[in-house]
Amino acid sequence: GGAMSFLKRFPPPAEGVRHQQPDTEAVLAGRTLGAGTLYIAESRLSWLENSGVGFSLDYPTISLHAVSRDLNAYPWEHLYVMVNAKFEEEESKEAPMAEGEEEEDSDDDVEPIAEFRFVPSDKSALEAMFSAMCECQALHPDPDDEDSDNDYEGEEYDVEAHELEQGDIPTFYTYEEGLSHLTAEGQATLERLEGMLAQSVSSQYNMAGVRTEDSIREFEDGMEVDIAPVVAGQFEDAEVDH
Amino acid sequence: MEVSHSVKERTIAENSLVILLQGLHGHITTVDLRDESTATGRVTNVDAFMNVRLVEVTFTDRQGTVSRLDELFVTGRNVRYVHIPDEVDIRATIERQLQAIHRVRYFGGRDKGRKEFPRAKHK
Repeated sequence: GGAMSFLKRFPPPAEGVRHQQPDTEAVLAGRTLGAGTLYIAESRLSWLENSGVGFSLDYPTISLHAVSRDLNAYPWEHLYVMVNAKFEEEESKEAPMAEGEEEEDSDDDVEPIAEFRFVPSDKSALEAMFSAMCECQALHPDPDDEDSDNDYEGEEYDVEAHELEQGDIPTFYTYEEGLSHLTAEGQATLERLEGMLAQSVSSQYNMAGVRTEDSIREFEDGMEVDIAPVVAGQFEDAEVDH
Repeated sequence: MEVSHSVKERTIAENSLVILLQGLHGHITTVDLRDESTATGRVTNVDAFMNVRLVEVTFTDRQGTVSRLDELFVTGRNVRYVHIPDEVDIRATIERQLQAIHRVRYFGGRDKGRKEFPRAKHK
């Protein structure tokens, strides 16, 4: 057949080519486009006929891809790619309609669908072709995703999720992680509170105006609070209430 | 238990029901596509963008033509519905996936904090 109007001449992709499969026939809606090389690159999927013309498909337009080895459905093992776009085909009254593949229905204004089949002469390459496409497809998540909650940057720690008490996530920071979340003001507050806490510890021993050697030593330890009367009997009737 | 290596994907999963789909690995599931075709096969992967990868697929296209596909990758955008198999305990699956994510996130770090917390609220 003649050239399809959507075929253009362009250089093969040079960057990010995850897989390249020579000697691969491209078929659109049952019509062969010839033999060429399939380039599965990170930016787009391209196929170039040996003559140098071809086409590219953008991953966001690809609905699905699959490995088909069902010879009842199609006589050759191939990589099937369904695209959410329309492709101009040459007008031909004798266009063969292959089994199972039909032209777009007239009621298909909403969803244009084009079915491509890439038939490598080396069938064993299909796995690698499929996987390469999966990897590249995953690099192009749907930009039209209405779920704007998927807008996560950086921080994995989601305060809201914790407030909703999902699973058994503790609703407080452990020491190390908490420190890193403090602003300068927060840190100053923390230091002040720690100072106050240390003070109140020492003040227990000061209650009766007595500071012993032992109490001074314990005070220097900071966070460690070991409540034990250093003078026997002195605080026995004191109410220690925390 | 497979968990994404991407911080962003783990966060997305943790905050949406994609996490349930990710727990379906290995199960035979039917996926209804946006164009009304359906694919029934074994789930091998679901990522945070709801891209679904199936093997051993029976594919029924819009016209009703049935064919077999060895492997199928459907983009999240084109997934309309995923049938949760009857044998799947939905709540247990979600909890298990969340735990897997937290094991990855808190590896060697926050575990001290977590042990102080009751393991499960309702048992």
